[in-house]
Amino acid sequence: MQQEVVLAMLAKEPSQGSQLRARLDRALGPLGDAMNDGQVYVTLGRLEKAGLVIREGAAGSPARPDRKVYVLTPAGEERVAEWLAEVSWPKPDLAEFHLKLTAAAAAGLADPIGIVDLQRRELLRRLRDVQRAAMAEPDHSDAGLLLEGIALRLQADLRWLESCERVWTDRRNER
Amino acid sequence: MGRPLLVWRLAVKDLRHRPAQALLLLLAIAAAAATLTLGLSLQGTTNNPYARTRAATNGPDVVVAVFPGDSNGSGPTATAKPGGSNATGRAVAAAASPLLRLEHASGVVAHGGPFPVSWTLLHKGRTVGSAEVEGRSPAVSSVDRPKVTRGTWVRPGGVVVEAAFASALGIHVGDRLSLGGTSFEVIGTAVTAAVPAYPGTCGRPIGCFLVGSIGSYNPGLVWATEADAVHIAGTSGPEAYLLNLKLNNSAGASAFATRFNANASPTAPTLYSWQDIRDGDAQVIAKARTVLLTGSWLLALLALASVVVLVGGRMTEQTRRVGLLKAVGGTPRFVAIVLLFEHVLVSLCAAGLGLFVGQLVAPLIDRPGAGLLGAPSAPSLSGATVVAVVAVAIAVAIVATFVPAVRAARQSTVAALEDSARPPRRSATVIRLSAHLPAPLLLGARLAVRRPRRLLLSVFSVAVTTSGLVAVLIVHATSAPSSLGPQVIQATTIISVMLIVLAAVNAIFIAWTTALEARHPASLARALGATPEQITAGLSVAFLPPALLGALLGIPGGIGIYDVARSGGGATTLPSALSLVAMVGVTVLVIAVLTAIPIRIGAHRPVAAVLQSEGG
Amino acid sequence: MNEPEKAFVRARGLRKEYGSGEGLVRAVDEVDVEVARGETLSIMGPSGCGKSTLLHLLGGLDRPTAGELWLAGRRIDGLSERALAQLRRHEVGFVFQAYHLMEELTAQENIELPVLLAGRSPGEARRRARQLLDQVGLADRADHLPSALSGGQRQRAAIARALANEPQLVLADEPTGNLDSAATLEVLRLFEALHAAGLTLVIVTHDERIAATANRLISMRDGAFVDETHLVGGTKGNLADLAGLGS
Repeated sequence: MQQEVVLAMLAKEPSQGSQLRARLDRALGPLGDAMNDGQVYVTLGRLEKAGLVIREGAAGSPARPDRKVYVLTPAGEERVAEWLAEVSWPKPDLAEFHLKLTAAAAAGLADPIGIVDLQRRELLRRLRDVQRAAMAEPDHSDAGLLLEGIALRLQADLRWLESCERVWTDRRNER
Repeated sequence: MGRPLLVWRLAVKDLRHRPAQALLLLLAIAAAAATLTLGLSLQGTTNNPYARTRAATNGPDVVVAVFPGDSNGSGPTATAKPGGSNATGRAVAAAASPLLRLEHASGVVAHGGPFPVSWTLLHKGRTVGSAEVEGRSPAVSSVDRPKVTRGTWVRPGGVVVEAAFASALGIHVGDRLSLGGTSFEVIGTAVTAAVPAYPGTCGRPIGCFLVGSIGSYNPGLVWATEADAVHIAGTSGPEAYLLNLKLNNSAGASAFATRFNANASPTAPTLYSWQDIRDGDAQVIAKARTVLLTGSWLLALLALASVVVLVGGRMTEQTRRVGLLKAVGGTPRFVAIVLLFEHVLVSLCAAGLGLFVGQLVAPLIDRPGAGLLGAPSAPSLSGATVVAVVAVAIAVAIVATFVPAVRAARQSTVAALEDSARPPRRSATVIRLSAHLPAPLLLGARLAVRRPRRLLLSVFSVAVTTSGLVAVLIVHATSAPSSLGPQVIQATTIISVMLIVLAAVNAIFIAWTTALEARHPASLARALGATPEQITAGLSVAFLPPALLGALLGIPGGIGIYDVARSGGGATTLPSALSLVAMVGVTVLVIAVLTAIPIRIGAHRPVAAVLQSEGG
Repeated sequence: MNEPEKAFVRARGLRKEYGSGEGLVRAVDEVDVEVARGETLSIMGPSGCGKSTLLHLLGGLDRPTAGELWLAGRRIDGLSERALAQLRRHEVGFVFQAYHLMEELTAQENIELPVLLAGRSPGEARRRARQLLDQVGLADRADHLPSALSGGQRQRAAIARALANEPQLVLADEPTGNLDSAATLEVLRLFEALHAAGLTLVIVTHDERIAATANRLISMRDGAFVDETHLVGGTKGNLADLAGLGS
């Protein structure tokens, strides 16, 4: 869970941990269920240590962190503003799979095409789940939008896998 | 049940979706139907008027004529004999004695005449004509009392002109005219059943004896007193005598005349029955009817060509429709019914329209002219006419649907849906030959050959039209307008106009379909620098050779049609070479202009719009 | 053999060729396929791989060059055009890639077309059409001609028309090609409802997202099947990972 996300959610108003959790759930829809409860608090802890967030509220019961209200510090606000203006984008992480294929082919350990097929099937199944989840969402909902994005990414990956299969098949045929 | 509603809905909606095409189809078929109606309904329309005239004038049962006595006997047809009459009036008068014997032959109950007849030139103001002058008594005769329609009967110095003749030459009561050099006053017009009315006076059956310049005109009948008639005949005397007989058995007049003519010597008088004269009166209408019938066949052919063009132009769309209907579950039979129903709907409406128009126009041609009494019998359409016209219209509809319907049964549905119509033919020869032409001409040439059937249709269409026009020219060349009569002239005019209109419609439509097909390559050419004028010129020029070919084919075609329609003998005079050349030239020019219009419109459409819609 | 009965659609050695000699094109090359009743099958492949042709063959819109085809236990590859038409009337609904609506009929009339063709009364046809128009969300466009409808609306009208006679098998060629994501989801929901009602569905698509919603996915290339995947769901837990919500 990105620290900046939690920071940004606190920008609206100081909140308790449980309120943050609820807001995340609403924005994420079915994906929200998959989130670990503890993740939010872990992140809040880190933010506190970094000085971007202050815990306020009932003192003297460290065993009950959910009662506390978290507030953004000025540094925290600045960080949020910076973050909103950033244009960094999650990097595609295809190199690992690409190297997996190369290694398998070089060492003769496994058929690269088989690896691709296996991966394809897995991605298709995931895509199916995502699509079905999207179908269950009302139109134009936040969660639906997110699911669309996930589906499109999976689609892009599937297309790349298609290319992998083509290229590796051609290589095999040339030999 | 749902299906009949569906058939109706599909047909009506498709027609409403493309109203222009439907209308064109309707008009094409209606044109043919109208002329067919006209032609078929001119049946014996002179029967009643002749009967009425006969009754009103106490027409004769038999007319006896004795002509100049040369050894060839009296000829029933009009001939101009150069070199003049060897037979003098005295010879004729001598030959008139057998007439007296006839007056008392068995079966004859009354007689009138013999009346002296001569032919002479007629001058009225600047109008010149010829007249057949019959000498009569001012008193009422027992047989053949010409009914005076205006003015009064003959008196010394006053002549009565036959009503149709008067109407044709514009002669009115009170006019002065000169006959054989002597001036007379026209004091009346009349009708008779004893002699065919103008312009058939010198036609069958009796004929005339025309000499010199008199033969240049078509004579009409004029009555004068006997003294005046003899005076007009001049020194040579009357050239013929007419005797009117009444028999006790009118119906047997034909047999009576035939019997007498068979046993008679060549120099004896000739007998004509009232049936012969009635037929002579009917001749003129018969001619008009032949013209209209022939014309309607030509128009039917043109309409068929129109239909094929119109239907062919819709072929892609129709094939797609067929595929679509099949795709949602329509059997080939259902599809055929839908197509047929739509076309039959149009055809029936066209037939109705044609019948209506034909019936409206019929009285205009139908009237026997001023020469017979009374209006023609009310032109009620006979059942046979209606059936014939409707049958032709439906036949056209069936032909139009035949091809797509057969395809529906044989073709797979997908093939129909994705059908890009008939793939265009590519002729290697034309491609080679046209490779050296400038681009627009090249385009035009190759596009023209792409659709050989359409090329053939344009040649056919022009050929049919020019055949009709040539036949009309021959009609006018062979007989002077005065001897044709107003009905025939009207008929030929109507046919000519309709042929030209239908051919024009055909030409525009063929050009339109070609322009539609050409729009893509033409736009490409324009995108590469050709001007719209170049495109227009190039594409239009491609239509000229077929037009020329068609026009040239029309000449033998027209001659053939005339011969077939004429069927009877008689000389055929070809129209002058100049008029034929002029006709061919004008035809090609008109085709060029007409085809240029849709092509020009197409050539000016924005290039991008056409190229972009390529996939659509 | 009871197998033919189990499979609703069965094809053996299906082949479709065009041209001859040097110009011979094998659009569909020795394809065997079985579709169980109530199954949703999706067929994917690059353009020109023959998937549309295969679909046309399955629906009787085209005749195979060779091979056997059974539908609901009945052999259909040798049927006459007439019999095929009746098949399409009652058993098979087809959604075309190019929609192929009749240009001169309104949207509602287009949907009424198959119902009237089947001989039902005009009233029934009207009711059924209205029902389907509501289902695909075109109720307000019922009286519009296809030329007045957007691509997506035409597509939905075409889908409604395919369903008019309550067929047992629906063959759809790129049914969501022209739809935006909201409309696509609508159509997918519709297909899901039909699937739940027991309809057998074969969808040809090049969109993996559509293909993934089926029970089974077949990949085609150069006229032949190259891959078959049975799609069974993973766990929802994976979803969060995919979304980047992992720790």
